[in-house]
Amino acid sequence: MSTNPMHQFNIYRIGPEISFGNVDISFTNASLFMMISALAIISVFFVGTKRKAIIPTKIQLLTELSYTFISKMISDTAGPKAKPYFPFVFSLFMFVLFCNMLGMLPYSFTVTSHIIVTFALAAVIFVGVTIIGFVNHGVGYLKLFIPSGVPLFLLPLIVIIEIISYLSRPVSLSVRLFANMMAGHTMLKVFGGFVISLGIIGGWLPLSFTVALTGLEILIAFLQAYVFAILTCIYLNDALNLNH
Amino acid sequence: MKKFSELSTRLKIAKKRANKNSFTNNKKNTSSLGTALKLSTEMVAAVLVGSIIGFILDNWFDSKPWLTIIFFFAGAAAGILNVIRSAKLMQKNSD
Repeated sequence: MSTNPMHQFNIYRIGPEISFGNVDISFTNASLFMMISALAIISVFFVGTKRKAIIPTKIQLLTELSYTFISKMISDTAGPKAKPYFPFVFSLFMFVLFCNMLGMLPYSFTVTSHIIVTFALAAVIFVGVTIIGFVNHGVGYLKLFIPSGVPLFLLPLIVIIEIISYLSRPVSLSVRLFANMMAGHTMLKVFGGFVISLGIIGGWLPLSFTVALTGLEILIAFLQAYVFAILTCIYLNDALNLNH
Repeated sequence: MKKFSELSTRLKIAKKRANKNSFTNNKKNTSSLGTALKLSTEMVAAVLVGSIIGFILDNWFDSKPWLTIIFFFAGAAAGILNVIRSAKLMQKNSD
């Protein structure tokens, strides 16, 4: 095991090298963990919805609770018009949550600690929301950039600022998730390294810190998945209801 | 017997109070951490995007470095707008 705290974020190839044109599409540890989390979600929900008992088992309760949690979140933030987008938001939340949580297992790999993964998710949301907005409102969606009650001479400046603010959405969405996951895992590894270097006498203090930080990290893993999903709902709300 | 029922009622009330307190405290702590991270990324992202747009436009119009500087400040303004907006949203949610 390497003591370098950044070593855990290395991506390496599993199996043969596959390239498609100039693009390397080999199967890596990142792809492995994405597949594991997708399969974990499918199996949890398959088992949870198999026996529809009136008195639910623990796993059925879990699936039902997560369903109502997301469904309530969508109707609270984006209104009844956003109901058709429930499957998307739900899978997004579950995928981010399972990737974060699987990353908390020792020796595993955190997919969401790579900015390209989070940025790809955020870019899909951004493009999708923009398309939804234009489909629903036509050219009128551009009114999003013109707040009401602004004097005419200030308008060019405000429009530029609003456009930058709109374009910064995917960046802030992806950077937030990536930075939280990477900082947390690096911190855990650094404190873990202190335990080894301080030995059996001084190592207890960093060990207790590591235990506390693990709890905090699990909390952050859930919180960031929640924030990711709720911001998607807020953007959807802008695209569907256009209430600026 | 009467004492027993009285005790159980009092226990129930105390438990409810303890639950309520711990829940609100917990929620406050987690959300304040989330708030700090959310607001800071909101600000940084807008400045970054503004500067990048300015840089690209500079390359197009061959006007280095003026548009980068202008769009840097526009990005900072957009960042402040973002921060105010999300702070308002948080306030609405907490009420």
